Amino acid sequence: MIRQATVLAMKDLRLLLRDRAAAFFTFVFPLAIALFFGYVFSGTTSEPLKVVAFVERPSPQAEAFLKALGDDGGFSLTVVADRPAGELAVRRGQAAAMVVVPESYAEGLDSVFSGGGAEISLVVDPSRRAEGAMLVGKIHEVAFRTVFSSMSDPEQFGRMLDRAEKSLEASDLPLTDRIAVRTALARARAMSSKPREGAAAGGSEGGLAGWRPVKVSVGELEMQPGIPANSFAISFTQGLAWALFGAVLAFGSGIAEERQRGTLVRLLVSPMRPVTILVGKALGCFVACLATEWLLVLVGVAFFGVRVSSWPLLALCSAATAFGFCGVMMMLAGGFRTQGGAQGAGRAVLLVLTMVGGGTVPLVFMPPFLRLASNASPFKWAVLVAEGCTWRSWGMAELWLPLAALVAVGAAGLAIGAVMVRRAL
Amino acid sequence: MLTVTDIRKSFGSLRALDGVSLEVRRGEVLGLLGPNGAGKSTALAVCTGQVAPDSGSVSIGDAGSPRDPAARRLVGLAPQQIALYADLTARENLVFLARIHEVPEPSRRADALLDMVGLLPRARDRVGTFSGGMQRRLNLAAALVHEPPLLLLDEPTAGVDPQSRSAILDVVQGLAERGHAVLYTTHYMDEAQRICSRVAIVDHGRVLETGTVDSLRAAHGGDLEAAFLALTGRSLRD
Repeated sequence: MIRQATVLAMKDLRLLLRDRAAAFFTFVFPLAIALFFGYVFSGTTSEPLKVVAFVERPSPQAEAFLKALGDDGGFSLTVVADRPAGELAVRRGQAAAMVVVPESYAEGLDSVFSGGGAEISLVVDPSRRAEGAMLVGKIHEVAFRTVFSSMSDPEQFGRMLDRAEKSLEASDLPLTDRIAVRTALARARAMSSKPREGAAAGGSEGGLAGWRPVKVSVGELEMQPGIPANSFAISFTQGLAWALFGAVLAFGSGIAEERQRGTLVRLLVSPMRPVTILVGKALGCFVACLATEWLLVLVGVAFFGVRVSSWPLLALCSAATAFGFCGVMMMLAGGFRTQGGAQGAGRAVLLVLTMVGGGTVPLVFMPPFLRLASNASPFKWAVLVAEGCTWRSWGMAELWLPLAALVAVGAAGLAIGAVMVRRAL
Repeated sequence: MLTVTDIRKSFGSLRALDGVSLEVRRGEVLGLLGPNGAGKSTALAVCTGQVAPDSGSVSIGDAGSPRDPAARRLVGLAPQQIALYADLTARENLVFLARIHEVPEPSRRADALLDMVGLLPRARDRVGTFSGGMQRRLNLAAALVHEPPLLLLDEPTAGVDPQSRSAILDVVQGLAERGHAVLYTTHYMDEAQRICSRVAIVDHGRVLETGTVDSLRAAHGGDLEAAFLALTGRSLRD
């Protein structure tokens, strides 16, 4: 029976992929929804890149660096009072990244010629890595300019040379090398009293190409349980509702379609028992639901910073979701004898359930009355378990209820639907 | 191979079959002729187990009732409606059906059948792109994937061009020569004259007469059509 059901499911999946409209609404449309809402909520626009900055200890050097960064024109820079405020701005999509000027920045700049160096850290929204990479380049450029600018300040440049000389004395360089470096430092000290034209603006970098006065360390925003890492963490689970909508609709009219096409007669005349036909249809729907769920998750994880808190739990939840929606599909298949009836009524009913279940307004943004009403929609439970395995970082203690709801919907739907379908066969 | 004994079937107040008895033996083509609404398709539905008779029995070979999957393995059905997946290719359709019937080497079997109905060059084309005649030929091939000893063909040449029709009739004749039992419904008297070993003329859910073409012609004078009209009358049917 299983072999024949698998053959039937494979045929249905192949037909689904051949039907461009059905394949689009099952696989592409949910992704488009996830991206659309993800970008809408993330605040990504063609305006200057929004960046927040946090200075751990104010200093003239830090101030100069931030001023240069702010003056660059490619950014809209906002200085925040503390680190959590900056992280929140990134998390909410109000900024693409947070630039952190550490406490040691000023000392680090003074030791650029003596083996040390300044460090800037960057906290980036994982879904905006490309903008983060661009920001790293800009920080290097701005840092280079500010370091050269600081060389035009004899006092600061003198401090740099003092540190370098001290470091040289403490080193175990051979005497000849030490003399050569000391001579070079002396010449630099003499030149600092009459800086070259254009040095402040970067001037000619000459042999300094590739040398970077500031080290930029990039970190992605850490996932915090209960807080979405970015807008895509919400929009991708929202897209899941539409993915399930497409899969159920495609398979819900499958039996009616077979009947209208005449192929159901062939299946019924074959040695297969009617229950095998039902298992085959359910199996096809199960695989389609799983495939579209995992496509969304993998695209979200790979390109949009969606984080999975537990892959094993996600596997369990996606299987329970697919099972639950096989039940929904079977009810739809059993309720209507014609393809038009199944698709028309399916669209109407599923659309309402999808919207109420978090397909349009994400569950977290729903007003209390709508959140209560959403309990009637299996889509809500599917979205909830998906959120549980991603940004909510739930364990089994929190997941069991929505999982049980999905399994119950699946079992009831398959039982009732199977009876209805068998009567209609 | 197929024994139908006194089957009766009503749909509400409509009596579709009223004591039909038939027998189809190996190596013969039994033509089931009758006007529209005579009960031919219902008889086929009962023979394939899709519809349970109110009374009477159907037995397929030694396997018994067509409600039993073992008996259905012995039956190949070419429905009147083209029953194929338009979005699958010709080969994919046949391979799928062969797998459903657990035929060994389904691809080889599919190619052999495509060759038999002259569709091998179009094996990779989707059925939706086929002409009516090509679809009819493939519809017949689909009934043969598991080499059933009993074939039930419901108007297999309806709406096809003379070339496809001739090809289908050749295939059916060849199958009978190879020992298959064929129950063949049609409206075309010339087809029945060409390929049927015997014919059964049905109307109002009853078998009016059964015999060879020659015996019917001899009994009613003229050709088979004259015999048919003599038995079923000339009044128009809906």
